[in-house]
Amino acid sequence: MKRLLDIKEGCKAVVKDVDMDEALKLKLFELGILPGTELELIQVAPFGGPIKIKLHDYCLALRRTEAYKILVEEKC
Amino acid sequence: MLKEIKVALIGNPNVGKTALLNEIAGTDLKVGNWPGVTIEKKEAIIIYKDYIIRFVDLPGIYSLRNQTAEEKITVDYLLNEKPDVILNILDSTNLKRNLYLTTQLLEFEIPIVVVLNIWDEAVEKGISVDFKKLENLLCSPVIPASAKKRLGIDEILDKIIQVYENKKFVQCEHFEVEFEKYLKEVLKLVEIYQPVLLNLYPKRYLAVSLLEGSLKDNLSDALAQELEKLREKIKSIYGKDVKTLIIEERYGIVLSIYEQTVKKEPVNTVEGSLFLDKIFLHKYFGIPIFLFLVWLSFEITFKLSSPYVDFLNKVLEVVGIWALQVLESLNASELIKSFVADAVIGGVGFVITFVPVLFVLYIVISFLEGSGYISRAAFLMDRFMSSFGLSGKSFIPLLLGFGCNVPAVYATRTIESQKEKILTTLMIPFMSCGARLTVFAFFVSVFFENQKGLVIFSLYMIGILVAVIVATLLNKFYFKTKSEVFILELPPYRMPTFKYILNNAWVRVKSFIVEAGTFIFATSIIVWFLTNIPFGAKKDESLLAQISQKVSVIFEPLGFGTWQATASLFSGFVAKEVVLSTMSNIYVGEELKEEKKSLSFQEGLNEIFSGFIDANVSLFKDLASTFGLVKTEKEEDEFKGLGSVLKESFTPAQAYSFLVFLLLYTPCLATVFAIKQELNSYRWMFISILINFTSAWIVSFIIYNLIR
Repeated sequence: MKRLLDIKEGCKAVVKDVDMDEALKLKLFELGILPGTELELIQVAPFGGPIKIKLHDYCLALRRTEAYKILVEEKC
Repeated sequence: MLKEIKVALIGNPNVGKTALLNEIAGTDLKVGNWPGVTIEKKEAIIIYKDYIIRFVDLPGIYSLRNQTAEEKITVDYLLNEKPDVILNILDSTNLKRNLYLTTQLLEFEIPIVVVLNIWDEAVEKGISVDFKKLENLLCSPVIPASAKKRLGIDEILDKIIQVYENKKFVQCEHFEVEFEKYLKEVLKLVEIYQPVLLNLYPKRYLAVSLLEGSLKDNLSDALAQELEKLREKIKSIYGKDVKTLIIEERYGIVLSIYEQTVKKEPVNTVEGSLFLDKIFLHKYFGIPIFLFLVWLSFEITFKLSSPYVDFLNKVLEVVGIWALQVLESLNASELIKSFVADAVIGGVGFVITFVPVLFVLYIVISFLEGSGYISRAAFLMDRFMSSFGLSGKSFIPLLLGFGCNVPAVYATRTIESQKEKILTTLMIPFMSCGARLTVFAFFVSVFFENQKGLVIFSLYMIGILVAVIVATLLNKFYFKTKSEVFILELPPYRMPTFKYILNNAWVRVKSFIVEAGTFIFATSIIVWFLTNIPFGAKKDESLLAQISQKVSVIFEPLGFGTWQATASLFSGFVAKEVVLSTMSNIYVGEELKEEKKSLSFQEGLNEIFSGFIDANVSLFKDLASTFGLVKTEKEEDEFKGLGSVLKESFTPAQAYSFLVFLLLYTPCLATVFAIKQELNSYRWMFISILINFTSAWIVSFIIYNLIR
């Protein structure tokens, strides 16, 4: 298992677990970042900025602190 | 009698809800705020066939779990206002996430009309939907629509009427069999322990929210205990807590509906948005492109509007002369003439000079927002702004503040987070605007001839520094509990329609004139009275002078404790544009009166007409100068007498201290009322004034004592 932050740009991954406090975890779940969902890491902002991911049919930006807490299985 | 139908528009953010409402209602749209919060409320009433249809556009939300302010507004509205029909707007190109909210809306026992908006784009992407089946699965009618192509508008209205007249509500039961049993169990518990709840809430909503514990209501201890027991039981069976389970259940329903009804033909088109993001979010070029676009927006907003500001001033001047002529012929007293010319026409003038700049700003903002670029800007600037406890979204409003604080405050509309919006709004007044620059430039040419640039630069820097300190302190001591996460949707790039942009700009300018405008006008009348009471008195005997005399004590430690300086600051509270003319009036005593003109009606019209031509000519000149083609001429210095008097009244240290104070205290009345309107709160308005005054005093005090 890897952290979402650690996978390569352009790679796909399947969400395994979200390791955050409940309120935030449920918020991500509701946006579709549920265990079993396939994500794609599209882009990483410069200077330690947020990352852009694609899931279902839309794109989302997350800060690195949150991306670090999403555990995934890389599928490259 | 026409029947009235109350319709609530609900959907995710970025699904074109407002654009659709615009298409339905045109400029009849009214914007305001929901009570007590900074969240925008849009309403529209139309007459269609034999019905009055009243639309309320609820804030864009992803869920109805009652967690964020936007979600609370929506849930409260559904429960208390009980609309007749819910118009659920979905983005057809992103159905999975959009349908999640629909599964929650089905629980309110209110008939729903489901609108698949942006249908034209879905067709291009090869998406097809089995509508019959989807209608069956959602127990609601489904209509494909496109605000852009004006597709499906009449069908929506007809369907609303049909659903309203039908009066039948079919409850869908989507959850898996086991789970439906638990919901029935919850309702049984309610019947036993607290049956009153059954009358207060729709049944299914009650059952789900009790089970997940999101109902904000006082439960009897017995019921609470029983519910807890049930939750424990479910947890032991499924191995996860109820809240997670419900979300998973819902996504299960959504995916199953999606798979049964939506087909996606692989189409051979390049994903335009992904390609554009490769450029706009590029590692190295992204930020330079952003800065260029920001500079361009800034130039467009202020340069495009300024000729029309001049033009409106010209019109007012002519109207003023006409009014004076009329009063002259009626033998009106000097006092009444002054009241009409200075207070009434001056007050109106002050309000309408903001109209062109706001109109252009709203066009620029609507475009940035509607095209999807504003989320990219937030994405790029997030790292930088997060060091001040803000997110990328506050960068643009703050930057606009250097042009004019008023549009900057209105630009905070694009910030969703309440905390961040408040913080940004409180920081904006410290961004030194164009009007303050006129005062700085004059003082600098009198006192600091040799270090002009450096002194002005230092003032801008002080403003930014104080803003950052204020934000840091507020973050640390006031907002400490509310740390919010940054989750930002990056919607596909879309070209907003010209009509939508203009409608949007006009609707907002209208609301500025009505709301902030009346306040600004009223206050400028009060200020006129202060400077003219008692009537016919000398300038150092007016009420303003007397008040200034008393107040000037507090400026003693800052080096400028004279009534003249204080009175100048009073006028700067109204607007920085008038500071120099007030000072010249107070210090030199010569009023900057233009020679009396008389104009016939025809001459006046000619002046207005030529003013309009001038405006358009100078617009092109300005545009050309933006791209370095033409140089605009500098204006002549009109306050020659004032400079030498000031040199005797201020030491350079005192002058600098005065400038620092002028920089940091309340920028102008218009900003104050913009803050009131945008944050929807007098409290924050006064807090902003207070923060500005205290920080101005403290910083001036420190600097004056360091340099004198």
